[in-house]
Parts: sequence; structure tokens; C-alpha cells
Amino acid sequence: MESLIRELKEHLIRELNLEDITAEDIDSKAPLFGEEGLGLDSIDALEIILILEKHYGIKLQNSAEAKPVFYSVETLAGYIAKNRR
Amino acid sequence: MCYIEAVATHLNLTHDIKEVVPDATLRRRMSRIVKMATATAFECTGGVPGIAELDAIVTATGLGCLADSERFLEQIHRTDGQMLNPTPFIQSTFNTVGAQIALLAGNHCYNMTYVHRGRSFESALTDAMLQLKEGDACRVLAGAFDESTPTQHHIMERMGFWRGAEDGEGAVFTLLTATATSNSIARISKVEFLPSPLSERQCREKYAAGSGTRVWRSLDKTVYPCCSAMRFAKAVEEIRKGAPEVVVYNDYFGKEPTIIVLQCL
Repeated sequence: MESLIRELKEHLIRELNLEDITAEDIDSKAPLFGEEGLGLDSIDALEIILILEKHYGIKLQNSAEAKPVFYSVETLAGYIAKNRR
Repeated sequence: MCYIEAVATHLNLTHDIKEVVPDATLRRRMSRIVKMATATAFECTGGVPGIAELDAIVTATGLGCLADSERFLEQIHRTDGQMLNPTPFIQSTFNTVGAQIALLAGNHCYNMTYVHRGRSFESALTDAMLQLKEGDACRVLAGAFDESTPTQHHIMERMGFWRGAEDGEGAVFTLLTATATSNSIARISKVEFLPSPLSERQCREKYAAGSGTRVWRSLDKTVYPCCSAMRFAKAVEEIRKGAPEVVVYNDYFGKEPTIIVLQCL
């Protein structure tokens, strides 16, 4: 799980072009969206959906499940571990 | 006719992009040319208060935000039109720079972008001058930008496009007013789109007001669609140094010739 979390953070940094941020700077449990954590927005949510599809072969079928899945790096990694192809 | 209050190029920037665009979310989506052009506009207007006072923002570009356009096209090709990232699509539009400048200060004024190959900058200047002449605006920011990428250079090289010329890139912005102010540097007396190329002698005969007029034609080897904007900036500098009049002739590989006539006050 640790290596998946690390890999996911690197994808986020690269695909979302997060300036001056390293994998170590991202708290795995902190919220991805809103002002408390990384401060991502709706365009970033679309980019994360593409990361799931491109790198892990996961298509999010039900938009209602997105909110808890997209809460943090840890919840995203948990979802990937269960559903990756 | 209109008056030039300020000119800035990407070569004389004094502000860091983090100062120009403090919002990290906005900044991380901006490509190199968007950052370069936005910072140049910021430099020209003196920052957010200057942008807020503008009555019109008119930008010009020959090729637009090329790096983002290439990224978007490459993704279409690689994924067969599936799974396209939204950011390069959003940012690759030609009016991205004009919009970013307006967003910096929440300015909702007239905002137009001209994409007319080698005549883009002159088209933007013409629109800016019309806005000022007809009283729709008192202060207009007009500018031009183009970026070069390795892919574009390679494709144009294979097409035999360069023919001894060198590709380039740049951003230039100028602040124009309807009437002269204490900050005015020069005036633009004429912008013309010519039906066919002119020699230096023909330019002088047709446009020079006196023997002191400098006629600039094919100044350097660097060519990109909006390079006449950089020549315009150099001409303004020449007026600032004491030249009475500069006639800037521009053509894009011998096509689409234009004239800009600048005069001292």
C-alpha cells in the first residue's frame, strides 16, 4: 500500500502540475479538495478520473461514490487497490 | 491616431510570475507562453490597479498557446480521442492570455483576440485605435505573443519554411490612450495593411514625413507571426532616444506586408 500511495502522489504532482510540492509534502490523510489540504478543484477532479483510467484501468461508474473515494490520497489508494485491473 | 503611454516586452520583466499571479492553482495551469505574456502585460500596466483601469484588452497571436495545443493534439492521437485531459484543452485557446489578464484584476471590459498570421499585431492595434477613436475606450492594452516549440520548428524546417530565417518567440504589450498624457512617449499615426510588398525606398517615399525618418525593414533574421510587435517596441525605444519618426515595415516571409508609423510628440 505504501508504494501505491507514493506512486499515486507522484502521478498527482506530475498530472496536476503541483508547483514546489514533493511526495513527502502531501499528507496521505489530508483532504484533496477544499482549503484544508491540497486545495484541488473540479478541473483537478477530472484529471484524477483520467489518472485512474490511464494508469490503473479503473472507470468510475457511479458518480455518487466519487466523493468518499476522492477524499484523500489514502482513500484513493484504497479504492485503486480494490478495483485495479 | 493614438498615444503610447508604455511598452513592455518579455525581455525586460521585473516581476516574478508568483508576484504577478499569486494564486497557485491559476499559476500551475498556465503554460510558459501564458505566464510570459501575462507577466509582460502586468509589467506594461504597472500591475493589477493598472489592469483594472483598462477600457479594452486586445491581444494578438499567430499560433496561440502552441505547447498546450500540441499537448492536446498529441493526447487525441495517443488515446484515439478518449481520456483527454481538460487543462491543455482549456488553456490552448487563442484568447487564453487576454482572459488571464482580465482575470488578474476582475476586469470585465471589451476583450478581443486577433489571430491573423503575420498581421495579428497590426489587427489588434487597428482595433485598439478604433476603440479609442470612436470614444468607446480611453485606455487600451494591446499586445502580441507567440511561442516556439521544438515540434513546430521541426515541422516548419521539413516544409523548408525557414530559408535562412530563425524562429523566435516573444510577448509585447503597449498601453494606448486616446489623448496625450504627461506619460505619453510617442504616437501611432498610421497602421496600414498593404496589398503587396514595398522596398525600403518605396516605404520612405510613401510614408516618411521628413529626411530624419527611420525606415525599418527586415531588421533581423528572427521570424515569428507576431515579431512585428517586437520591432514596434524597438521603434518606440528609438523615438524615446530622439528619433522624430520611425516607419516599421513588416512582412511574414514576404507576405502580408504591413506598415506602422510612429512619431515623436
